[in-house]
Amino acid sequence: MASEEAKEYVLPPEVLEETVKASEELWKPVRKIKFRIYKYNPRKDYAPHWEEHELEVSRGMTVLDALLIIKGETDHSLGIRYSCRMGLCGSCAMMINGKQMLACQTRVLEAAGSGDVVELRPLDNFPVERDLAADFTSFFEKHRAVKPWIIRNDEVELNNPTGPYKQTVDEYARYYQFTDCIKCGACLSACPTAATDYEYLGPQALAQAYRYIVDTRDDGLDVRIPIVDTEHGCWRCHFAASCSDVCPRGVDPAQGIQLLKKLLIKRKFGLKPHKPAEALPAKVKAEKEG
Amino acid sequence: MRESTIMFLHYVAAVLIMITGLIHLLANNDPVIGAAIKASPVLYLGNMAIFLAALLYHAFNGVRVILIEMVPDRCWTKWISWAILIVGIVTYAVGLQVLMVALGFA
Repeated sequence: MASEEAKEYVLPPEVLEETVKASEELWKPVRKIKFRIYKYNPRKDYAPHWEEHELEVSRGMTVLDALLIIKGETDHSLGIRYSCRMGLCGSCAMMINGKQMLACQTRVLEAAGSGDVVELRPLDNFPVERDLAADFTSFFEKHRAVKPWIIRNDEVELNNPTGPYKQTVDEYARYYQFTDCIKCGACLSACPTAATDYEYLGPQALAQAYRYIVDTRDDGLDVRIPIVDTEHGCWRCHFAASCSDVCPRGVDPAQGIQLLKKLLIKRKFGLKPHKPAEALPAKVKAEKEG
Repeated sequence: MRESTIMFLHYVAAVLIMITGLIHLLANNDPVIGAAIKASPVLYLGNMAIFLAALLYHAFNGVRVILIEMVPDRCWTKWISWAILIVGIVTYAVGLQVLMVALGFA
């Protein structure tokens, strides 16, 4: 049935022609752009240097497209990290003309603006792995440190779940935006605190801590508090909000950190962030038996 | 002490600075209100003692935060906190003595 429907749907010739024309227009070279690329291999090079490549770019060409052309044609040694090419994996985050962006989501002409130079360097606040690829070891250590998974006290239910947990839309909305994080590192790179305090957990890890703490299925508040409520935890955020400004997914980690601070203060007065969720089928069964 | 307690006291100190600072300003700039406030020198001294404590706590904690961010090593973090606490207590003791002399208590 589905294949029959698919067969029946054919684009009208004029629409098809228009689409092809628009596509050709999108990929037609329109301008010459100079790419100024940071080159540094810490294992080999004494100091970083810049290399320049000139490329004819089209309206639809992204920075990642351009980098792959450069890597394929002029500089095979260029170190870049990428994977999905559609802004979902967060691998290709880098400094594009001084701002944290995803190379696969940024069009070259958009980055160049009225100028004709696009400067590319690895993310700030990260050690360089090679050229445009940053070393994410410490970033993921910080992410893991806040235990970014559901922690439950009822281990029997956790290991042998009797059914889904009950959660209202309002409860889901409290942490929904933070689940969009793709761990690209743009927030940590833009954070002024992280620039000097390398022990600082950073916006990504702290927002994830908040995301799990306010999840009604989670019981891990007491486990996470000694991790986030430290000298290098959430209190070192001065709310510059540059993390939220650069997030390619529109997540607001700065807000998450402020809410985390509020939660910690409220806890001082004995207020818990939420009631733990219940495993519905088990409860229903217990009520029936009772 | 947890960092949240320290920072909570930091915010409380800020509020106290505003309240006690306002009383101090009124006491020295408005003759009518000033006379009423200074009618009880002990209470005025108490206000100034709270003002000084809140001011020093807020200021020294601010310095501690800056230093922790500039020297993030965990070993140094502990030493910085202790050093700031000792300097703060000494400064408060000296400040309190100056206040008492200035207000005619010693």
